[in-house]
Amino acid sequence: MDSRDRDRTKKKQFRKKFLFRKKKFCKFCEEKIPYIDYKDVRLLQGFTPERGKIFPRRISGTCAKHQRELMQAIKRARNIALLPFTAD
Amino acid sequence: MVKYESIFITDPAATDDEVAGFLKGFEDSISAGSGKVLKVERWGKRRLAYRVGRHEDGNYTLLKLECPPAAARELERRYRMNDRIIKYLTVRLDKDLPEVPLAQAAPAAETPAESSEKE
Repeated sequence: MDSRDRDRTKKKQFRKKFLFRKKKFCKFCEEKIPYIDYKDVRLLQGFTPERGKIFPRRISGTCAKHQRELMQAIKRARNIALLPFTAD
Repeated sequence: MVKYESIFITDPAATDDEVAGFLKGFEDSISAGSGKVLKVERWGKRRLAYRVGRHEDGNYTLLKLECPPAAARELERRYRMNDRIIKYLTVRLDKDLPEVPLAQAAPAAETPAESSEKE
């Protein structure tokens, strides 16, 4: 019995944590950015933290459509040496 | 006629006049291929995000053009033949995309400092 109770409280805590997390939103939908430009280094840098990797959708909250465009833009920017492929 | 956007990076050791000369040649080749150059933007010298050959910085020039695909191919061929050009990228602009103001104000002046900070 005891362990089950503990389990339940754990679950509750977990749900609480989850419920109060700030809702993620897609930056591009929100700001109605019509086209993600590969030349816009400032914008893209926000999605390529330290190592220069592309920030995953699961964390940034970007919607699928915009994540695809973002990926394309970042890869173009890398090609023309505006963004690093890796940074360490 | 297709719209393209083409960027090339020249060796920073190349003088402005030299680059202007290349530009003139490119523009001529495009108009010879019955296309036209819509816009030329010279960003000036900025730090490259990674080393290209032995270069740490490069001189960026952006071209916006409207031309048949053959003329764009010719332009890229010219880029490749020019040994002052260290990198280039040509992108087709799909629909009529609106101009997006860049988040950066002065690309030439600001970004070099920023990228060196990151390193």
